[in-house]
Parts: sequence; C-alpha cells; structure tokens
Amino acid sequence: MRVWFDRSLRLILMVSLTVGLMACSKKKVPPQQGMGPGGFGAGDMGGMGSGGALGADDARWRELGLTTEAERQEFMNLSQRFENEDIYYDFDSYVLTEPAKKILDDKIQFLKRYPKVRVTVEGHCDERGTNEYNLALGERRANSAMQYLANSGMSTQNLNAVSYGEERSLSTGQDEASWARNRRAHFVLNN
Amino acid sequence: MPVRLHSCSVRLLFWFVLFSLGTVTQPVQAQKIEIDITKPGFQRIPIAIPDFKFQTAEQPQLAREMGELLSSDLDYSGLFLPLDPKGFLEDPQSMGLTAGEIRFPDWKRLGAEFLVRATYQVQGPALRMEARLFDVVGGRMVIGKVYEGETRNWRPMVHRLADEIIMAITGERGVFDTKIAYVQVQGKNKEIFVADFDGSNPVPVTRDQSIALSPAWSSDGAQLAYVSYKEGSAKVYASNLMTGGQRLVAGFPGINIAPAWRPGTNQLAITLSKGGNPDIYLVSASGELMQRLVQSWGINVSPAWSPDGRKLAYVSNEPGNPQIYVMDVSSGQKKRITFSGNYNTSPSWSPKGDWIAFSGMSGGRHNIFITRPEGGEVRQLTRGEGDNESPTWSPDGRMLAFSSTRQGGAALWVMLSNGTGIRRITRGGGQEMPDWSPRMGGR
Repeated sequence: MRVWFDRSLRLILMVSLTVGLMACSKKKVPPQQGMGPGGFGAGDMGGMGSGGALGADDARWRELGLTTEAERQEFMNLSQRFENEDIYYDFDSYVLTEPAKKILDDKIQFLKRYPKVRVTVEGHCDERGTNEYNLALGERRANSAMQYLANSGMSTQNLNAVSYGEERSLSTGQDEASWARNRRAHFVLNN
Repeated sequence: MPVRLHSCSVRLLFWFVLFSLGTVTQPVQAQKIEIDITKPGFQRIPIAIPDFKFQTAEQPQLAREMGELLSSDLDYSGLFLPLDPKGFLEDPQSMGLTAGEIRFPDWKRLGAEFLVRATYQVQGPALRMEARLFDVVGGRMVIGKVYEGETRNWRPMVHRLADEIIMAITGERGVFDTKIAYVQVQGKNKEIFVADFDGSNPVPVTRDQSIALSPAWSSDGAQLAYVSYKEGSAKVYASNLMTGGQRLVAGFPGINIAPAWRPGTNQLAITLSKGGNPDIYLVSASGELMQRLVQSWGINVSPAWSPDGRKLAYVSNEPGNPQIYVMDVSSGQKKRITFSGNYNTSPSWSPKGDWIAFSGMSGGRHNIFITRPEGGEVRQLTRGEGDNESPTWSPDGRMLAFSSTRQGGAALWVMLSNGTGIRRITRGGGQEMPDWSPRMGGR
C-alpha cells in the first residue's frame, strides 16, 4: 500500500526535528531519539522551533531552490514516489535485480533534478535470518543501492546508509509475500 | 513522572552473613563422582525437601515458599528430582532438624537419596535461615549452613543454599545467583532487560525507546555491552550495572554491532563496517581500536570467544551463505566448522571450551545444535517446534538458554545441554537474544 500524505501533514511534520524518521513511522518505523548519522542536525533546522510551520516550509523551499508554487507541487508529487518505491532483494542477497535497477534509474532522475535533497538509504531484511547477520546484510543492501547510484555518476555526498536489519518489518506475515516485502532498500528524504 | 535511577534498577549482589553449622564433613565421596547429565541414561538424584520449619510467628507462609523455591532450583539444575512433599510422612513443623532426630529409614523407603532440612526465624527485617543437607543412604549430614540477611532477600538466600547443595554434590557451584540479559520487544521498540536465571525479576537496563540488541556480559558480570539505535544508527554502548552509567564504546561510521567481551579483559570483539566491509575488530572498553581480528570479502559477525580468550568463533558468509568459523587469534588461522545446511549463525562457546552451540536453519526453521570447536560431532538439540535461536550457555555448561517461537511469540526457554528438560522461563512474549551472565561476585 502506498502512503500518500497531504501537504498540510507534511508541513506539520517539518516542524519536528525528527521529520525523516517520523515520515518513516508511517511505514512502521517508530520515532527515534537523536539524529541520523551525517543527516540533519539541529543546525539545519535553525529557526524552525517556534517559527511555525510556514517558516519551516519556506526554509525548505529555499534550501531546495524551488521558488514557484508549481515547482513545489511537482516536487511534492515526485518526492512521494521517490520515497514510496522500495527496491526488493532475494533472501540472503544484496544483488540488485533488474526491476530494482529500473526503480533506481527513476531515483537517479529525481536526484539529478533535485541535487540539493539529502537522502537516507535504509537497508532492511526479513525476519527469518539472524538479527546480527541481518544488520550486516541490510547495510550491504543499502550500500548496493548507493553503489549503483555512484556508478551512474551520481554524487553520493548527500546520501547516507543506515541498516535496520530485520528490526523494522513492514509486514509481519509468515509467508513469502510478507518476507519479500520486508527485504528492501527504502529511500527517505531528509529535507 | 518520576524517573527511577538506573543505579537502583539492577541489584546484582545481596549481602548475607554465611557460616557453617558445626563440623562440615567433606562432600560425600560416593556421590562426588563426575556427573555428566549429557550422558544418556543419567538418572536425576531423588531429593526430599520438606517445608522449612518456622521458629517465630512472623511470615509462616515462607515455610512453604522457601521449600518450593529450593525444589524449583534443584529441579531446574537437571541434577535433582525433588520428591512430591505430599508423600512425606512427618509434619514439617514438628519434625526434627539434626541427624540424630531424622528418621533416615523412612526417607530411604520414600526413595530419597538426599534430604534438605531447614528452619528459619523472621524478626522484622531480619531473617536467619539454618539448613542441613543429609545423605539419606549414609545417614549423615553433608553440609550445614546458616544464612543471616534481610527478610526481603529470602529468595537470593534460598538460591545461595541451592548453590551450596550443588557444590556439595558435584564439586562445582550451581548457577542460581546468575542472571540472563535479553532483548524485550516493547511495541516498536526493543529494550535490554536483565532477569534472574529462571526468568523471574525482570529489570530494564535501557529505557531509550529505541532499538537495543545483542546484550553481552563482561566476564566479571559488572558490565553489559549492547547495540542501540538511540543516536540514529547501530552503535555499541556499555552499561555499568552497579552505577547505571552508560557510555558509547564504538560509534564508527557504518554499523557497530555484535559485541563480545574477551574473557578476563576489558576488550571486546565487535563487528564494524568502518573499513567498508563488516569485519571483526578488537576494541578496548574505552573505545580504542586495537586490531582487526577477522577480515574477508564477506560479512563477518557474531564473534564468540573461547573461554581462554585465544580463539574466536564467528559467522562469515564467505562460502556464499552464513557459516560458523573458528579463528586462532595469535596465528590468524581460520577454519570453517559447519557444513550442513546453508544458514548457520549465533555461535556460543561453552564455558568448559568443549562445545560450540549455534542455530542452524533448515526447511525454513531455526534449531539449536552443538558441535565441537574443531568441527564434527554435530548434535541437534531442538526440532520440529517453531524457530529456536540465539543459544547461550549457563556458566556451569549444563544448560542452554535460547529464544523460541514454539508457543507463539518469541520467549526465552532453557534446556539441559543434551536437549532434555526444556522449559519456558519468560512470560508475555517478545523476548529474544538472551545472554547468560557469568557467576556473580567472582565466586
């Protein structure tokens, strides 16, 4: 199921320092304490605390270099797809499949168009494996996606990888369809 | 909301005054043979434990509760078979306490080989307990002990008595003062908890409302290392269980996971991907990188030290899927020791060094196995019931704790190291990744 949240919700989320992670909570990721590594720090969100949602939004558009309402609307639409299309892996594998590469090609288009976005690539596994091994496998998955972007000439300076292993399952079912859905790399926009 | 300090949350030591009653005879020679419960045909030793005798009017219910706890401990050990008190002939409140007063032939007829006769006095906050272990066949006292302490600490006092009884019979202490650390799922979070060896008295160690994983005891039992996402990605922290203080041990770029304290040292083996590949490094408790222990092109995780700290078992997917390897640390020589199945993980080295337990997946299900550190002699301990993962040895090597989904959600279970005597020790579900503590207080 795709999660489409409207702009007003996005504005509210922007107020929070945990914006990226709360967006994930729509997808069963609980809010985290602290910041992502190399991700958004308090400094990036300067002046956003009591300034209200509009001020935060303005800062964001400035950062992304989007000036017109039409540009912003288009970004919102494209970014939803960017965040909601995961790429999937076979069991105990971090090899990119052909469908995964197609989705990554789409993401490359988005990143080329919006070079100022900052992105966390999350690697996830199904829960059949062992937690510790899956933490390493999840990182390999995130890295394989990032490597594909790098091989396509993208700068990965604004990208960082986080592995969640099997700790953030989307589906709890005990069947191949659920497991397959959990073996994923998930892209999260941090700004 | 009041915040409870961590420093009071985990109490590891209870102070008793302990002294022996009269002349302590040597452990019974006839019984102090090597007891190997993993041998087929091992017969548990029948033992009679009547209710304790109360000597003051305070807290008479402890007479039964203490007797039941002692029975439960000795049953748990896998060495003893406590007899049902319903069959006992004498009223425990009038029955005698010393060898001269015990009717050994009656106990012998009931099938008891040993008898524990104990009495206690409660005076407000103070508890005095006196206990004797009798060899029914020989008609004599084996040990006699007096414990004095706080009434509210009657449970650890009884556990201590159980330890002394195991010591007297086997020459090695029991594990009744040990703890098990584990991961407790709480909604979408995971926190580290510590409970008694039998799953009772669970106490939180972390309250980070994040994902905490892989608790690992230091060999003196004073510290617990674990992985947490509380700063956004997987880093290794250590908690001092006495003070409640927590500190970052490894927060390098990439993943910092799977900590394992090197026995007798203040160093840990940890998987770090800071070099690009998830390799196993030796890191000091203060966070200094000391050396890279295991390096390959593959995933290298889940280090488990041999008891002498010279060898390291770990998981590598060098062969194309995860398998257990053993590396000699000084020579760097490594050897694959699992060959059956294509998913063998979670190695745990037995305290005597003679076995490595692991979890192996076949037919989509995980089960617990043991094998020799040099490979071979593989024994499957669980089968056909849910997923069974993360084995960890009791410090006497007689038992294994593990997580199992055999009754629905994951819970902690314990079994003897021959796969018998399986019992569930945690309630409510959501418990995983157990790590059994060493014996506490260096005893």
